[in-house]
Amino acid sequence: MELDKRDVVTGRPTTGHEWNGIEELETPIPRVVFFFLGTAFVFSLICWMLYPTWPLIWTYTKGMLGTDQKQVVAVQVEDAALSRATWTSEIEKKSYAEIEADPALMRSVKETGHTLFGDNCAACHGVNATGGAGFPNLAAKAWLWGDGSPEALEETIRVGINSTNDDTRTSQMLAFGHDGMLPTDQIEAVVAYVRSLSSLEPAGDAKRIEAGKQVFAANCVACHGEDAKGKRDVGAPDLTDANWLYGSDAQSVFTTVYSGRQGHMPNWAARLSPLDIKILTVYVHTLEKKPQ
Amino acid sequence: MISRLTLSERQLALGVLLFLGIIGLAMAAAGRNDPLGGQGFIVLLFSVGLAFYVMSGYFAPEPDESRLASYYDDPTKVGIVLAMFWAVIGMAMGVWVAALLAWPELTFVDQAWASFGRLRPVHTSGVIFGFGGNALIATSFHVLQRTSRARLPDQFSPWFVLIGYNLFCIVAASGYLMGITQSKEYAEPEWYADIWLVIVWVVYFLIYLRTLARRKEPHIYVANWYYMAFILVVAVLHIVNNLAVPVSFSHAKSYSLFSGVQDAMTEWWYGHNAVAFFLTSGFLGMMYYYLPKRAGRPIFSYRLSIISFWGITFLYMWAGSHHLHYTALPQWVQTLGMTFSVMLLVPSWASAGNALATLNGAWHKVRDDATLRFMMVAAVFYGLSTFEGSFMAIRPVNSLSHYTDWTIGHVHAGALGWVAMITFGSIYALVPWLWKREAMYSPRLVEVHFWLALAGTIVYVFSMWNSGIIQGLMWRTYNDSGTLAYSFVDSLEAMHPYYIARTFGGLLFLAGAVVGTFNVLKTITLARHESATAAEPDMPAIPATSAVQAGE
Amino acid sequence: MPEFFHRKVERNAIGFVLAIVGVASIGGFVEIAPLFTIHETVEEAPDMRLYTPLELAGRNIYIREGCYACHSQMIRTLRDEVERYGPYSLAVESKYDHPMLWGSKRTGPDLARVGGKYSDVWQVRHLMNPRDVVPQSIMPRYGWLAKNDLRIDDLGEHLAAQRAVGVPYTQAMIDNATQDAYGQASPDSNYASGVSERYGKATNVRAFDGDPSRVTEMDALVAYLQILGHLTDAAYKQPAAQAEAQE
Ligand code: HEC
Ligand code: HEC
Ligand code: HEC
Ligand code: HEM
Ligand code: HEM
Ligand SMILES: [Ca+2]
Ligand SMILES: [Ca+2]
Ligand SMILES: [Cu+2]
Repeated sequence: MELDKRDVVTGRPTTGHEWNGIEELETPIPRVVFFFLGTAFVFSLICWMLYPTWPLIWTYTKGMLGTDQKQVVAVQVEDAALSRATWTSEIEKKSYAEIEADPALMRSVKETGHTLFGDNCAACHGVNATGGAGFPNLAAKAWLWGDGSPEALEETIRVGINSTNDDTRTSQMLAFGHDGMLPTDQIEAVVAYVRSLSSLEPAGDAKRIEAGKQVFAANCVACHGEDAKGKRDVGAPDLTDANWLYGSDAQSVFTTVYSGRQGHMPNWAARLSPLDIKILTVYVHTLEKKPQ
Repeated sequence: MISRLTLSERQLALGVLLFLGIIGLAMAAAGRNDPLGGQGFIVLLFSVGLAFYVMSGYFAPEPDESRLASYYDDPTKVGIVLAMFWAVIGMAMGVWVAALLAWPELTFVDQAWASFGRLRPVHTSGVIFGFGGNALIATSFHVLQRTSRARLPDQFSPWFVLIGYNLFCIVAASGYLMGITQSKEYAEPEWYADIWLVIVWVVYFLIYLRTLARRKEPHIYVANWYYMAFILVVAVLHIVNNLAVPVSFSHAKSYSLFSGVQDAMTEWWYGHNAVAFFLTSGFLGMMYYYLPKRAGRPIFSYRLSIISFWGITFLYMWAGSHHLHYTALPQWVQTLGMTFSVMLLVPSWASAGNALATLNGAWHKVRDDATLRFMMVAAVFYGLSTFEGSFMAIRPVNSLSHYTDWTIGHVHAGALGWVAMITFGSIYALVPWLWKREAMYSPRLVEVHFWLALAGTIVYVFSMWNSGIIQGLMWRTYNDSGTLAYSFVDSLEAMHPYYIARTFGGLLFLAGAVVGTFNVLKTITLARHESATAAEPDMPAIPATSAVQAGE
Repeated sequence: MPEFFHRKVERNAIGFVLAIVGVASIGGFVEIAPLFTIHETVEEAPDMRLYTPLELAGRNIYIREGCYACHSQMIRTLRDEVERYGPYSLAVESKYDHPMLWGSKRTGPDLARVGGKYSDVWQVRHLMNPRDVVPQSIMPRYGWLAKNDLRIDDLGEHLAAQRAVGVPYTQAMIDNATQDAYGQASPDSNYASGVSERYGKATNVRAFDGDPSRVTEMDALVAYLQILGHLTDAAYKQPAAQAEAQE
């Protein structure tokens, strides 16, 4: 090795090699490199001793802590549930009326309900629960099912509507046109009539509306009632109010009557715990009233 | 350029193109009911087009023996232009997908090929393989010859590698638009493209070996250690990770050999080391030549080079499992991934430090010369992103950062700050050398590019750090009741301003790349026009024993 | 001394090449090979079922459209993820996934347990235009899925290729792949019963896109989404077992 060459700036010797003008200095490796290497290695060594690390052919070293991420998280989730028990056990025990009368509990319901609703229900019912085309506005308090009591809501959420649950609520708006039960002109008439109930139909076509009324009486009252105010035991909506599940324009209503409708609300018992469902029930029940 | 090939090289080129054309035709015919057919047409068109080009120069007089006394730089020249071309395409695609995340309705056509999921890999492959790969191939040929003081072994195989590699990139990118992907990140191209890349890569490796075998320097220079590690390890990774069974020879689709947890580990062993040996090792090779060359300084420490090289080569290969923390991958692999990632910081910083210390005695040049400043900043970002990476590899940190934009911020600190900057710096150094000019067409524009790139990187990275950390925290924030405080959609809404900021940062970076491309093309055309008057020979002659003139 | 050794190595290209390959091979070998030999890596799940041909086609569309670029399918062993998305994912759940789709970015929510969470109608409307049902969404529209007929004539070849990489499809499944794909999306057709026969009673047989007369890409993708997290019940039993083991 020729070690006679020196760099003019640093005065350090070069390795004596040169590649197209590039040289290298014989600078020793700075101490700190070894220091950090040692530190990183010690850190690693400690981790190797504490946690599962080295594979043997059929098994692996388990580490002195003897833990595994699966156990750790199972315990964490369990502990978290225990520490929430201060208020969740109240929710489980108390009646709906008692919960709603308790401001501290209601605060927890609101906080928890916001996220539970946001992650599970908002996709259909919207973040403000005001619904959208095909998905009911839960903040309108115009219920399809039951009397709007927490018990009725709880059942809907638990079993769903037209869902895969064995006890599901079932409902169906028949396809009067598609299935040949009514001719098109009669459907048009009943559509006009239904829309007139909430003053959506321009006045003057009284004859048509009158014809529609006849059709309605013959075909629809079984589900929607004489007064068209709906029947909450079959999930048939009130047709006289301002809430429309599938849109109120003539075309949408025509489609509803012609092709029928069958909304699908999932079966939450399969996904959420009874506690979560109870929290959501209270959350939905106490939503501020909002139009669509 | 054809006129510089010998007749037998021209014949070889035509033969290979004929073979490729037949393959393309066969793919088009067999895959007529499948997207494979479309890919076949692309291969066919590509080979026919090139065959016409070769034919156009086929009858030109052959070059004489004097060519052997000079380096063979034509593939490097073309490779640089291709790299800049892919840079603009890939980064424009990056800006576009960034904009789609801010304004999803921006898509002008409601068509499959234009949707986010198909365009995103066009961006990632476009910048990593199109831009990065071409830059690596082009510079490696240049560096290899200079540091070996030997000419490339023949004139055909470098072209085969460069053109074949670009065919791979075109097939890959067009495939994504057609919906062809294996879904393995950074290895998305399907089986036939994967096989083609293996062939190209073997030839690439052989060029390296054959040139080294003919080298006049007893020692192999550090830059070549890195380029070799890049070539070799990428080959190993690519072959193992892409093992798959095609549905049939008339289907583009294949099913990977591994499944589930083994597939996940193989994919991230590959994915992480694509970062290590493509985006790091290769570009370190680049840095180890162009930085000292441009600075006119010797490498700070040869011994530091040794330990950082072997440290990187050994330790990186253990770190891939840090992409799978807390997943269904057994925890023992995660512990290994975490600890080796932490140890990896030391050789990474050693190489960044070696680069920066090499600038001792040349800091005044860094101040005045934007080209060198590109390389200096690149080394800084290299240090920064490896520090960040090692930090993110620690399990509890990763529990926050994984799945979020923090990862995207880290990626682009490395990709923009390190990979792109070192490449731009090297290209600005290399272009005037290759085209025999004093300097770039406009040093002012180099300066402009530098500031656009730096500003773009900072805006991009900071906005992603912010959004990533906010996102990660929102996902795990608990309210006083001990339940999750935010829904997913809450976190989505919080991202919007950062997605706009990122788009803006990317736009700055892209503008820089466009300016750079213009500058490079301008320098080349100037050189073309002046070469008629310049009396210098095109290539410096190499007397058998002495080195090429310094500054080359 | 080591330095002297290195000076020797760096004079020999072949030696250097071998050294690089040797040094670089160790990590991957130590981390990957044992995943095939250590049995507890993949849990036992006797109830694990296979993707039907329609679901597999849907999975391929999920891959084709790059959904994995925004959605993970891997719930990590972290409290917040388990509380938000459900039981953490097990290795066995992706045992037949060639390739796995664990993902690396959550621009959208995790989908590992999305099956059954929403109705088919919602899935279709969401894919047609996500902002129709979720105004805040930044997910792209996928309108063409409802327009494109699904290619089902070659599904037998797909199943055969899956079998070649180790998925236990039977010859009957391979032979009936096309019919089964049709039947699963056309509940009133003659082909519907074969699907439950071959893939189990719990298999969803529905007109996923709402139109039983056509088998579209939308049918396939929704069928796939609706099965996510439901190939086995193992994940729901696991945490209880783990908590017990701890006590
Ligand atoms: C896949 C979409 C979807 C999701 C998710 C969903 N719902 Fe519903 N929900 C519906 C539909 C559709 C209806 C109306 C069914 C009908 O048309 O009869 C409904 C009805 C209801 C009703 C009955 C309203 C009434 O007027 O009686 C309640 C209460 C309700 N949902 C609460 C919830 C809660 C709480 C969640 C979350 C745990 C939720 N929903 C999630 C689709 C959904
Ligand atoms: C078998 C019971 C049944 C009969 C008979 C019936 N409906 Fe319905 N109707 C329903 C149910 C249930 C719904 C709600 C469907 C849903 O929620 O998906 C509904 C919904 C509707 C709606 C949509 C309301 C909205 O908010 O969008 C209209 C309009 C309507 N029915 C009109 C009629 C008319 C007109 C007739 C007679 C021609 C009729 N229905 C007969 C059960 C019935
Ligand atoms: C640009 C990113 C992006 C792409 C690509 C994307 N998604 Fe999404 N996805 C989202 C976002 C953001 C949400 C959350 C908002 C919403 O529900 O739309 C989401 C929500 C979803 C949901 C509802 C999940 C839940 O639990 O609420 C499903 C299912 C879904 N996407 C499926 C898909 C499928 C299938 C594809 C591919 C065909 C896809 N996504 C492609 C971003 C994306
Ligand atoms: C103009 C500059 C650029 C912009 C605007 C940009 C933008 C983007 C965007 C929007 C994404 C998708 C992020 C997501 O899914 O959330 C992305 C991903 C990515 N980009 Fe870029 N990019 C740019 C330049 C680059 C460059 C130069 C490189 C590499 C050399 C690069 C490498 C990558 C990689 C590897 C990913 C995937 C990250 C991951 O999956 O974790 N980008 N980029
Ligand atoms: C010591 C060096 C480095 C370490 C230890 C490291 C570590 C990491 C970690 C922990 C992640 C996140 C994985 C996850 O949670 O999903 C990551 C992602 C990534 N890093 Fe690094 N990093 C290093 C250097 C670099 C450099 C220099 C680049 C250059 C561009 C880079 C590019 C990437 C990319 C592209 C990803 C995204 C992978 C994906 O999910 O698609 N890294 N890295
Ligand atoms: Ca591939
Ligand atoms: Ca990724
Ligand atoms: Cu990594």
